[in-house]
Amino acid sequence: MNSPLKQELEHRSEQGRTRLSGYFAVTCLLVSSLAIVILATLLFSILYTGGSWLNFDFLSGTHRENNPEESGIGQAIIGSLVICSICGLAALPIGVGTAIFLEEFQPRNRFLRMFHGLVQLNINNLAGVPSIVYGILGLTAFVYMFGAFNSIKVNDQPDYEFGTSYYYQVKTLGDTFVKFPARKEIHATFEIRNPIRADRANGESFLLKVFSRSDDEKKFENDRSSAVFRGVLANLETRDDQQIYVVQTMDGSEVTFPAQPSYSSFAKILEPIEVVGPDGESFQLNVLAKSDDVPSDEQLKARSVFADSPDPKRRSSASIFSEPTPLHFHLPFSKSVLSAGLTLALVILPIVIIASQEAIRGVPQTLREAAYGMGATRWQVVRGAVLPSATPGIMTGAILAMSRAVGEAAPLLAVMGGVLGTTTGLRSLMDKTPALPVTIFKWAGDENAGFENTSAAAIIVLLVFLLLMNSIAIYIRYRYESPATK
Amino acid sequence: MTKTDENMLAETTTSADEKPPTSTSAQSTAANDNQPEVVAIHIDNFNAFYGDFQAITDVNLKVPARKVTAFIGPSGCGKSTLLKWCNRMNDIVPIAHASGKLKVGDINVLDQKTDVVSLRRRVGMVFQKANPFPKSIYDNVAYGPRLHYKVSRNDLDDLVEWSLQKAALWSEVKDRLHKSALGLSGGQQQRLCIARAIAVGPEILLMDEPCSALDPASTARIEDLIFELRGQYTIVIVTHNMQQAARCSDRTAFFFEGKIVEEGATDQVFTRPQEQQTEDYVTGKFG
Repeated sequence: MNSPLKQELEHRSEQGRTRLSGYFAVTCLLVSSLAIVILATLLFSILYTGGSWLNFDFLSGTHRENNPEESGIGQAIIGSLVICSICGLAALPIGVGTAIFLEEFQPRNRFLRMFHGLVQLNINNLAGVPSIVYGILGLTAFVYMFGAFNSIKVNDQPDYEFGTSYYYQVKTLGDTFVKFPARKEIHATFEIRNPIRADRANGESFLLKVFSRSDDEKKFENDRSSAVFRGVLANLETRDDQQIYVVQTMDGSEVTFPAQPSYSSFAKILEPIEVVGPDGESFQLNVLAKSDDVPSDEQLKARSVFADSPDPKRRSSASIFSEPTPLHFHLPFSKSVLSAGLTLALVILPIVIIASQEAIRGVPQTLREAAYGMGATRWQVVRGAVLPSATPGIMTGAILAMSRAVGEAAPLLAVMGGVLGTTTGLRSLMDKTPALPVTIFKWAGDENAGFENTSAAAIIVLLVFLLLMNSIAIYIRYRYESPATK
Repeated sequence: MTKTDENMLAETTTSADEKPPTSTSAQSTAANDNQPEVVAIHIDNFNAFYGDFQAITDVNLKVPARKVTAFIGPSGCGKSTLLKWCNRMNDIVPIAHASGKLKVGDINVLDQKTDVVSLRRRVGMVFQKANPFPKSIYDNVAYGPRLHYKVSRNDLDDLVEWSLQKAALWSEVKDRLHKSALGLSGGQQQRLCIARAIAVGPEILLMDEPCSALDPASTARIEDLIFELRGQYTIVIVTHNMQQAARCSDRTAFFFEGKIVEEGATDQVFTRPQEQQTEDYVTGKFG
């Protein structure tokens, strides 16, 4: 049988085709070298700008306002490491768990199969969501916890908190600071800032609503009998041997709620008390009447305050502050390193899940069959056969994901704000901390041109971090890749 | 190690349809013709599906205890599917389902309430491709016992040695027990898998083309091993190799397009098949 291809067809030029192919190869080479050239330029300019700034003082120092020469990234490095660790510790178990569910627990039930598919679809989509979106999510979910708890204000105590001690601090006449422990007590007045459960005179219990004075009157015109303005003071009274607060609602009716001990933001000093001085020594504080003279002896001055008085110059009311232990914890997490780490965990979670899924899918089906065939339960198969083989792949994926997390600035800016340095350093997971990418971002935008150099130097440090993490990932992949072939 | 009383599982039937084999073949002498057959696996009106596709249609079969039964037939005829249903390995395949009766001893295999873990302990499986875990030889054999029992270190040592000896592998590996099992040859790996299956004390061994990936010398060793293990275990072997079925099985079932065309004593099936299709297949006219 003859081929339908006609012999008399005109041939295309062999030469022309070959030449075109050559041009194509050259174009590809040029395009790819362009990327290399840009990268090399970037690296060179960064090294040129920041290289000479790298020294021990820079690596261990902290940010100084308007003083790039003495600024450093010590806090930022520690901050980045801590955030990255929290992020990994949170994302790894959740990510691997989800991947195991998706790969190993394929349900027969139609409804569960739909759920399964839905989770898979969502994860694939979430991998492409911009990190700033996760930042806002973290702000809602971790910093404010959807408003489920009272929000944390400066010098105010969260409802759910442990691992910290509260002190009152007062400045002595010698301009030193002394402190004494704060105690929760029932105060004579209570400032209503948040909705609270209250009782009417007839025994009816209801939620006392709180409106701002700037709110439109239409908002609360129907609620006058059960609402107050924010900041209204309730007075302490004793009724039937019980201490209660009494407050009037907008329509003037009287409602009550039980009195709870709390810290107050300020304490009056009226009589001598035991205090701790700046060097840790404790002594009796010398309280002067407002008519007394300031002592001339320096040592006595450092141990004296005026009793709380109406005269602002002579007033010495102590203000509250907290000294957290490393275990300090409260709800909501507020703007803290814990919120930041968990938010970054959200950012990398889809990446960790997808990488783990790939690794688990790469485990030969024969291994699973072998384990199931021996009568292993699903958990025994996962733990004994699947996970050991998938671990190198999972670790590689997790490290690459964390190297993405360590370079993310946007979620940190959303969750912690642009922190450049703290006076106390990182004492607990509830503290804020600067991090490398945020520091780079803030320095690069600083008006003081000197910070461009420190910014470049910080970029070098960040790049070294990334390079290190990626090398570890490559090493693990190389080291554990299919031992059978070695 | 405690071995469950095998008779408890086995269903005793006086099979009327069993014709006493009249051949001179070596295999048939092992089957004592005058005693009632003990049935290890009882299959009645069995149908198996993958989604809408019917892989097995109305299969009836009694697999005798402590004998070797071979399933032969062309690819896609349902013999592996039936084998995998015997210890519910098809549970891994979400679209697989089956109907009818499939009993292993007194266990109703198809019942969703059946504990597959204890079923699989009693019905071990050896796969087409040797699939040792990427662990040491010792840990491979100890894997099953560790899953099911609390065994002391010494007992485990004894059990590993016993299993490896049963699988005719002990002399080759006794000096390298704690080296990776992946360093063994293909044939050794397959014998290791048999040792691993034996170690949990099953009553039935299912073998899914255990020699199809092996060279002739290794195949011969596995066949010898199967020959030695009969009488102690009920063995069901799926094979594409007709000679293998003829060499090492007592009974043979010929599958074609999801049905059993013929089932009987091996020498009868191979020398005097009742069906034309069987004859065509065993003589190599198709398949």
